[in-house]
Amino acid sequence: MSGTDLASPRYSYGGDEYVFVELAEGMSLSVNFRAMAITNKLKEENIKGITDICPSNASYMVRIDPDIIHPDKLIERLKEIDDEVGSASGFELHTRVVDVPVMMEDPWTHETLMRFRDRHQDPDATDLEYSARINGYDDKDGFIAALMNSPWMVTMIGFVPGLPWCYQLVPPDEQVEVPKYVRPRTFTPKHAFGFGGGFAVVYSVQGAGGYQLYGIAAAPVLDVSQTLKDFKDSIVFPKPGDIFNYRNVGEEEFEEITAKVEDGSFEYRIRDFTFHADKSLADPHTYNDEIKGVLYGD
Amino acid sequence: MAIKVLKPGLLTTVQDAGRIGDYALGMPPSGAMDSFSYRAGNYLVGNEDGAAGLEITYFGPELAFTEDAVIALTGAELPPKINGDECPTWEALRVRAGDVLTFDYLKNGARAYLSVAGGVDVPEFLGSRSTYTLIGLGGFEGRALAEGDEVPIGSSDDSASRVGKKVDDKHIPRFGKEAELRVIVGLASYRLTEESMEEFLSVEWTVTPDADRIGYRYRGGELRFVEREQPAGAGSDPANVVDFGYPVGSIQVPGGVEPIVLLNDAVTGGGYATIGTVISVDRGRLAQTKTNDKTKFVSVSLEEALQARKERREELAAIRESLG
Amino acid sequence: MATVKAHLPGTFYRRPDPESEPYVNEGDTVSAGDVVGIIEVMKSFHEVKSEEDGTVSKILVENEDAVDAGQEVLELG
Repeated sequence: MSGTDLASPRYSYGGDEYVFVELAEGMSLSVNFRAMAITNKLKEENIKGITDICPSNASYMVRIDPDIIHPDKLIERLKEIDDEVGSASGFELHTRVVDVPVMMEDPWTHETLMRFRDRHQDPDATDLEYSARINGYDDKDGFIAALMNSPWMVTMIGFVPGLPWCYQLVPPDEQVEVPKYVRPRTFTPKHAFGFGGGFAVVYSVQGAGGYQLYGIAAAPVLDVSQTLKDFKDSIVFPKPGDIFNYRNVGEEEFEEITAKVEDGSFEYRIRDFTFHADKSLADPHTYNDEIKGVLYGD
Repeated sequence: MAIKVLKPGLLTTVQDAGRIGDYALGMPPSGAMDSFSYRAGNYLVGNEDGAAGLEITYFGPELAFTEDAVIALTGAELPPKINGDECPTWEALRVRAGDVLTFDYLKNGARAYLSVAGGVDVPEFLGSRSTYTLIGLGGFEGRALAEGDEVPIGSSDDSASRVGKKVDDKHIPRFGKEAELRVIVGLASYRLTEESMEEFLSVEWTVTPDADRIGYRYRGGELRFVEREQPAGAGSDPANVVDFGYPVGSIQVPGGVEPIVLLNDAVTGGGYATIGTVISVDRGRLAQTKTNDKTKFVSVSLEEALQARKERREELAAIRESLG
Repeated sequence: MATVKAHLPGTFYRRPDPESEPYVNEGDTVSAGDVVGIIEVMKSFHEVKSEEDGTVSKILVENEDAVDAGQEVLELG
């Protein structure tokens, strides 16, 4: 257990309509597995009066209609589920592994980050150069390689519709950590691939933002018109527990993908996968090779 | 039947009871900010609960009716006029084809609701007609109304019998320039110093111009966080936490100075410490405060919040019953 | 006497940005439709326009004053 884990979860009322449960103050893969295990179990119970179950990185939130279920009654049940889940050892997740093409150092985010240099910690470097340096990399290429070499777990969806927060499946000492901008930007291009705190994100829509900007995803994570096949069942592509492998693509492949998105023929490369938390925690790199083998093996 | 938009006003949007159930996708509920006034409007014109109406913010539009209709105006004191003549609010009114509805300057409150018998009949998106302008979905083409729009209205059976029905005076809220909002302290309130929590609950805050359907920012005090070594994944700023979910109504302190209350169109999660949540009943009162109004936050227990919720529900039921 | 009123509640500014000259000063002549100030509300700025021709006889609010909807911001002589 890291020093920031809580001895017991912090249960709190978010007004009269929400119950908020903080499992730990610090992020770790094990705490996120716990959040997913608890919320998955809660979903299965179909408790009346629950309108939303929102797993998040090191916490989760439940929206209720308190006229139907009293918040204390829910908390009582959540504590029991927490006991049943325990450390989530042996946690298995039937999920998917997804190839997510991104163009690093693309012209659009570059233009944006240069425009907002005065809001950044280091106005004289790019976001990538700055992030590489403070994370102990000799240059940005080594830093980019680290982000692209190991897959990521989608640990939370939100901020705006469809935006995935991703935490890399690597040991704690290899986790990248960067601050957010000193003052948030008023603009971020749609599909920007960014990083803040310990999380990589793809901005689903353009808008304000404070994450460091590294590149741009070639395909959407949100499709309100639901024209693309991967969005047939939901306007939002990512799901908590998805495993994303970000892959750096050149300009040529980026344009090919963009054209397919535009003509409606784009499909993500997706493989079904049963994720074993224990294997990932015990030997992440070996397990990541297995995950990538499943994704790219055929 | 349609409403023609001659002038759109500052921000006039189609809203209903909100888009509930997709919070985990990052979808905020949107919906009428003052749900009490919105609901009372539907009761007046005989609509089902959840029928869509127009939310009018700060400065009224100019609207023309293509056919006879029954309407009601509730919420903020934004004096309405039909063909230039003043008309009552919180009352079901008959308008004729060609009539033009305009408004005088806002007197009190911030948001008025126009309910029309039959309801605004735009397509539903994920179970709601509410407008969510940030990504342009729901409502009328996903945006605020603009000059030249024709907003479709559904049909209604016996709306004529509604004309003249009034909400009893004792139920009509009065929105002064000072509001007291009840808050359940919690979430990541442990991040705030004890003195800052006292300050938060004692300062008279002023609503800044940075106040809209996404959130309200206040000034008047300076809040501080407990110093700590930032945990893994949170980022280095003391206002930051490991990104988590934000309840609608939750209060955060992004710069570590000024609080923001998140509202119906807000982001659903992020990395700023939250310190408590405005109770659901008082979100409507908050939505009727405007830039430069004063606000005090008062700490209440969950039981007090649930009691207020119960009383609100009973009051709405009483209004509905009184209107037959 | 004619006046120009704020149509929105918010913060009134007499100039488009801190470096610029005020839209109008006392003694200036204005025509209907001329911008005499801006109001900041809901994260955006909105122009306040004169509805009549005239000469500005008195400015009734200071730069950055809080104004109410319907409040008189200047008098036209």
